[in-house]
Amino acid sequence: MNPTLATLLLVLLAGILLMLPLLPALTELRLKRDAQPLDVVQQYAGDIRHFSYGFRSYITDLLEPLRDCVASGTTAHGTMQNGDQYLLIGHVNDTRFVSAGGTTAMCQSVVAAGMDVVLPDGITFAKEIYAAGEFTGGEKSVFRALLGEKGIHLRRACTVMRWAHAVGTFQAEHGCDLYGRISSDREIQMDSGCVFQRLNAPRIVLGRSDVEVTNVDIETVQTTQPGCRRLVDEDLEIQAGEIVSANIVTRGKLHVGAGAQVFGSVKSHEHMTLDAGVHVGGSVISASTMHIGPGCRITGPVIAEHGIAIETGTHCGSVRVPTTVSAPTIEISGGVTVFGTIWARTEGLVVPQG
Amino acid sequence: MMLYVLYAIVALISIYTTRHYLFTLNRLFGFQRHPYIDIDTAAWPPVSVLVAAHNEEKVVAHILAALMGVNYPKDRMVVIPVNDRSTDRTREIIDRFCEDHPGRIVPFHRTGGKGGKAAALKDAMELVKTEVILIFDADYIPGSGLIKQLAAPFFDPEVGGVMGRVVPLNVATNLLTRLLDLERSGGYQVDQQARMNLRLVPQHGGTVAGVRLSALREIGGWNDNSLTEDTDLTFRLLLAGWKTVYQNRSECYEEVPETWHVRIKQIMRWAKGHNQALAAYALKLLFGKHRATLRERIDGFWLLGVYAMAPLTMIAWALALGLFYEGVVPLQGVVALLTFTAYSATGNFAAFFEIAAAARLDNTRQRVCLIPFLVLGFVVSIFSVSRACADQLIAPITGAKFHWDKTERFRTTP
Repeated sequence: MNPTLATLLLVLLAGILLMLPLLPALTELRLKRDAQPLDVVQQYAGDIRHFSYGFRSYITDLLEPLRDCVASGTTAHGTMQNGDQYLLIGHVNDTRFVSAGGTTAMCQSVVAAGMDVVLPDGITFAKEIYAAGEFTGGEKSVFRALLGEKGIHLRRACTVMRWAHAVGTFQAEHGCDLYGRISSDREIQMDSGCVFQRLNAPRIVLGRSDVEVTNVDIETVQTTQPGCRRLVDEDLEIQAGEIVSANIVTRGKLHVGAGAQVFGSVKSHEHMTLDAGVHVGGSVISASTMHIGPGCRITGPVIAEHGIAIETGTHCGSVRVPTTVSAPTIEISGGVTVFGTIWARTEGLVVPQG
Repeated sequence: MMLYVLYAIVALISIYTTRHYLFTLNRLFGFQRHPYIDIDTAAWPPVSVLVAAHNEEKVVAHILAALMGVNYPKDRMVVIPVNDRSTDRTREIIDRFCEDHPGRIVPFHRTGGKGGKAAALKDAMELVKTEVILIFDADYIPGSGLIKQLAAPFFDPEVGGVMGRVVPLNVATNLLTRLLDLERSGGYQVDQQARMNLRLVPQHGGTVAGVRLSALREIGGWNDNSLTEDTDLTFRLLLAGWKTVYQNRSECYEEVPETWHVRIKQIMRWAKGHNQALAAYALKLLFGKHRATLRERIDGFWLLGVYAMAPLTMIAWALALGLFYEGVVPLQGVVALLTFTAYSATGNFAAFFEIAAAARLDNTRQRVCLIPFLVLGFVVSIFSVSRACADQLIAPITGAKFHWDKTERFRTTP
């Protein structure tokens, strides 16, 4: 072969090989297939009621025919614009919808009830349910999502898959599995054995309690207040009955003795223990795990990076100062009251008593 | 001697490369820390939102409008636009917003004084009455939940500073904006979050950020001699035992430079400011008596040295070339290692595998194809940063004064 031609071919081949990895890059640069800004959530979809508000808008067109069904005491069904089947119930305890999906145990329609409704046991609802009146779910039923304009009452061993929102009180009996977002504009009551992830209400009462739940307000300290900060490099123990006015940060374990009062916030890098009757005016934060004894009063957020256990009679937040309890796993004994939000990323459990 | 210098530089660069690998693996497979992101109900503390604005007529209305629409309790948030000696319509726009939203915006119009963002923020502190201070540059557009997300970490009494994630808005403009989008992605989605996960030193970025007033006072306030007040703040907080936390899910749009000239000025300012912090805090951080943990001392030191690696890499290239032609020793192995690690380790944290991992985490698919073009950004960065370092070294001789370059804006709708 001619040496000049060979050289040219070699250069050409080398050039092609060099350009080859750039081909996808050049294509993307020219076509701009993925040149949109990342999808940053500008309108805060993290609001726990986001989906329930969305569902309320979604079924707006059904409300007028639903009122007609109630007025005439009839049941109607049809198809929505997106192809979803719907069922409108206008008669007390009319449970004919159960067969709408072709079986007695599965309902494939969006259900809207125009008055108080009590559902039979053991039914799986594959679509959302809207209740204009009081709603009672039967035992061992499975709900995709629920919106109640008044109260929602789930009997034993029910499951909610996505979300539930009650304008009135939300009540779950023993052994319910409540995945996703559960919220109420008034109160959430949950029996022992219930599993949950995210709860929000002005007041959340967990487990049956002998303790009278009142609107207790401990002396409130602004949880981000400036002031004395006590930074400790090792384990720290606050003695029983001691009164501390400072923000406490310890890089070891923290043990707060029974009846101690902290007017400020506390943080530990390792396990934190609050004994019975401890009052904390600020927030309680652990970079590890946390055990909160019975009868404690905490004003600010309660956050642990790995897990929280809370014993009976403890109050977190108050009516005037709502708060958040958050950890990947949360175990709460009966008789605990939280004013605001409980958020267990992995799983929360109302511990069965005895 | 030259050989040992070369070995030392290669060793340094290799350490940075290893560090980037660790961060990427942690981000992909490790435990992810987002301890404060679930705080959605609380007695939200009063906050002051400082908006640094110097000739920002193109963008300032957007951020003020966005801040008026956030879901933070209105009676607990005051916006303080810090109008720093603007000569355009910035003042007029701010004053119009004040009239439209009485009591919610308290403007700080600065007509003289020392230049620079830190100096302007320092002067504006006379208006700050709250314990929690949030800071934005004027080209940012916060979403409605962002203020709560940035305020939430301050419930932790150990937190002195907070930093959110910066997301470029003008991605599609040209090659530069697309490369900067990738760099930001790697820098925040992987690098910052990994440092948060590993309890190292997440860096305060000076925008989409917050600082605790009492912590700021404890460390002596804003340092108006620093070209990067954010880096300076990060290390002074660290030395005083305050944590800076990174919130990856607290995202905010920004405008990135659209011309190479503006980008070069920006990165040169960052390099100079970062090197100021290196000179001021490196030894103290490593060996001093203070409240930083051992892992924070080590990571903080490497973080401080990031911009010093660019000139060192260039020196290493020169040494390798010189030694090769002198025939001192066979250097193929060292040169190969240098070539491999230099690209991975420098370039403003944006190592290519971090970016690839970030693209995966962001669930973006096509933009990752542009990674080969990052060579361009790398070359520009390494020469710009090296020049900035050289300028700093000769400044005592030339008598160059403190100079703060504002980043030019490109948004077209005023």
